[in-house]
Amino acid sequence: MSHVAFAFVLTLALAFFSYNAQRLVRYLRIGNGDVRLNDVPRRVWNLLVIGIAQTKILRDPVAGPLHAMVFWGFLVLQVGALEILVGGVIPGFSYAAILPAPLHWLFLISQELTAAAVLAAVAFLLHRRIVVRPKRLQGDGVHSGDAIFILGLIAGLMVTLLVTAAAERILGSGYPLMAQPVSAPLAAALGWLSPGAAHVVREVSWWLHALLILTFLNYLPYSKHLHVIVSLPNTFLSSTSGPGTVGAMKPMDLETEAEVFGAADVTHLSWKNLLDGYTCTECGRCTSVCPANLTGKLLSPRKIVVNTRQRLMEVAPALVGGDDVFGMPFIGASTGTAESTAAILEHRLLDNFITEEELWACTSCRACVYECPVSIDQLEIINELRRNLVLTESRFPEEILPAFEAMERNGSPWAFQPAERAKWAEGLDIPTMAEMQERGERPDILFWVGCMGSFDDRAKKTTVAFSRILKAAGVRFAILGQEESCNGDPARRMGNEYLYQTLATQAIETLDRYEVATIVTSCPHCFHQIGNEFPQLGGNYEVIHHSTYIERLLADARVPLRTDEGEKLVMAYHDSCYLGRYNEVYDAPRQALKRALPVMTLVEAPRSRDNGLCCGAGGGRMWMEERVGERINVERKKEMLATGADVVAVACPFCMTMLADAGAKLGSTVPVYDIAEVVADRLADGH
Amino acid sequence: MKIAVCIKRVPEMDVTFKIAPTGKAVDETGLKWDMSDFDGYAVEAALQLTEKAGTGEVHVISLGPDVVQETLRKALSMGVAKAVQLKCDTVPFDAYAIGTALAAELKDGGYDLIMFGKMSIDGANGVTQFVVAELLGLPLVHACSKLEIADGKGSARREIEGGGELVSFALPAIVSIDEGIARPRYPSLKGIMAAKRKPLEVRPAQLGEVRLTIETMELPPPRAAGRIIGEGAAAVPELVALLQNEAKVL
Ligand code: SF4
Ligand code: SF4
Repeated sequence: MSHVAFAFVLTLALAFFSYNAQRLVRYLRIGNGDVRLNDVPRRVWNLLVIGIAQTKILRDPVAGPLHAMVFWGFLVLQVGALEILVGGVIPGFSYAAILPAPLHWLFLISQELTAAAVLAAVAFLLHRRIVVRPKRLQGDGVHSGDAIFILGLIAGLMVTLLVTAAAERILGSGYPLMAQPVSAPLAAALGWLSPGAAHVVREVSWWLHALLILTFLNYLPYSKHLHVIVSLPNTFLSSTSGPGTVGAMKPMDLETEAEVFGAADVTHLSWKNLLDGYTCTECGRCTSVCPANLTGKLLSPRKIVVNTRQRLMEVAPALVGGDDVFGMPFIGASTGTAESTAAILEHRLLDNFITEEELWACTSCRACVYECPVSIDQLEIINELRRNLVLTESRFPEEILPAFEAMERNGSPWAFQPAERAKWAEGLDIPTMAEMQERGERPDILFWVGCMGSFDDRAKKTTVAFSRILKAAGVRFAILGQEESCNGDPARRMGNEYLYQTLATQAIETLDRYEVATIVTSCPHCFHQIGNEFPQLGGNYEVIHHSTYIERLLADARVPLRTDEGEKLVMAYHDSCYLGRYNEVYDAPRQALKRALPVMTLVEAPRSRDNGLCCGAGGGRMWMEERVGERINVERKKEMLATGADVVAVACPFCMTMLADAGAKLGSTVPVYDIAEVVADRLADGH
Repeated sequence: MKIAVCIKRVPEMDVTFKIAPTGKAVDETGLKWDMSDFDGYAVEAALQLTEKAGTGEVHVISLGPDVVQETLRKALSMGVAKAVQLKCDTVPFDAYAIGTALAAELKDGGYDLIMFGKMSIDGANGVTQFVVAELLGLPLVHACSKLEIADGKGSARREIEGGGELVSFALPAIVSIDEGIARPRYPSLKGIMAAKRKPLEVRPAQLGEVRLTIETMELPPPRAAGRIIGEGAAAVPELVALLQNEAKVL
């Protein structure tokens, strides 16, 4: 009788679940297409490393292990849950009947120990949620009540699991003591129960457990705990850790007859962006590392993702229609009056949920993307919304207009005279590509100087220093001289894809005209753009950042260095986002410093390498005023100074400007040097 | 309301110009070109007038060789409805010749308002609008920094030495635009795409007689090199002495 009842309950629960699952899948379909099944081995790898091994979760030293415990426990306990559900329908079904005894005992041990461990982890997590209340779990309308409810459910599941086993033991399940390390002592403690009472306890506990499993399952689609189901698929489908080029902005076809360029609403985003919304656990790891958020700006990457989900949930029922595949009305389908449906359709993600101010605060530092334990791409949503602002609506901060105009007219984001681009090279005897071609020669590398390196007085010193190193090492190199022009990266980051494609196409034409194969650049933004994004437009070159190139020259002992020991400096290296998180170049600049000056000591700021804090210049912020909150560069400079370093080393002209400016604001005399300057300073006499 | 704006394609001024071998024109190699600044304000002001009125359209006219189509397209991408190129191989220096061609085009266009930038930023003559006003017999308000149109009448503000002047006028009329009226909008990609499908008509320019030509052009004499006296506080006494005795400004 009880089996029939359970079969009925189970069918209802599964039907309800599948019904919601289909609803959620249909909602995703309002997004645009996106291919996410290329390079399956790489995706499986991500699934194993980020998903199963929980490498990102474990980046938080406290909550990380606890959550990983719950996750792994959850996986282990699925095996037991299956036994319970099947056993509920088929009388007498038990693994004991199909597994050899030792294996079955192993299964029992795994379940009981896991349940106990999960119970302990849940207790810690509840304590954290209710008593400690860390900052990152607050704000953005985070559903803390939801989390507490789910943790309670999990605790209930564990308790009923153990109590059921204990009651069965009293009734004579007869497993060896060591196979039930938790329920055996529990059974001993409950030994006073009469067999009748034990039977009642067993039945009640079993039913509670089974119903909790089904409640849990059906509660998920209504809560942020949907991530329990979608985070593994999302990790598999995500490209934030590859496959493909990490950090490259989405290609965009400008020739289409689109009404909207970029995204103003969820219908313009891809289904993958929408799946990100389902997957967000609201953990706040992204927001807790966001330089904009940390310094008091309105932007919170978590809010961007949560807003995407909220807007989807608001509008999808109205768009998809009220019926599912079975012709039954969707739960949550818009049931309001015609006016309220109209109002919902009038709303959009941009403006009603996410404001311009938030979007322009982003430095595109990628810290949020890197940190997210479930591989969500917050930055892609931000970039798509920015594209809409500029391309469709022509709405952007006033101060970036001169940058757009200068890129259009002067081929550089500053209104410098193109004719002065190669002025830094006067008297240095550096050939241009045109000159080399005239002599019928070809250089080993093209030195792409970049706009900062060509025009900015401070960055020009780095340019000269790097040229000196190349000459001293006997590298045959050339520059484009006046033929070099902005590659468009600032325009792209600021949402102006049209201007970007115009500039990038021109640059590719120039590079191809000289049949350039290898490019070295001292600007991480040029490095990333030309190396990782030009291929989208058909420009394929080997691009090397000067830190890597210098490191290789030093490793091959090609750079003549002074023989004296040099100064015993203490140096702190600041990671550029576009070199680090975008391209995983962390060691080369550090190694180059060490090789050039072995007696120096390299110290690290608390946030460094993949955890490094942005200087504040990326994402076009270089051209915008920073009016709200603390200054990002000042925050970063304080961290760098707190290391006690005598010198702050950088490998990016933008970081250079930001940190040097911050130094001036803080009244610090600690100099900022590019690694090329440090190395050039160690060149043997006569170079 | 139907508005015509006459626009000119000019080189980006933020460069060091060279003189062409003929000695009568600037060397155009490597120059970047765009709509003259004041003409940009005029297009923006015209668009705002029609947007505010909720009706009407703006046309742009430019005189010159086919390269001016680029400038006309830019205006189209900002939201202008139609563009006309008055085609000629070179743009004469004589405002009378140009004004005659423009007047011929504008005469039967049925425009309520004809707008100009107060001058082109390269030639800096600021005369063409006067020629057109004379030839068409229309009133002209020169160098407006504010402009309103209501009930078939216009009012404009002109900046004059030490103050402003409010002028009212009847339509049709000609106004030329000073800076400060409106910052030209940045064309959206949507606008750029739409501009490709908008009409751009090409007609031969009926130039008037050219009575002015440039004989020679020359660059200003190079400035004498600056002198560095020193750095920081130590250099102050010498600087003061020099300013007193040599430059005689103190
Ligand atoms: S990319 Fe950086 S600045 Fe932008 S939202 Fe993410 S963490 Fe914040
Ligand atoms: S986007 Fe990722 S890191 Fe941010 S709150 Fe959601 S799950 Fe956490």
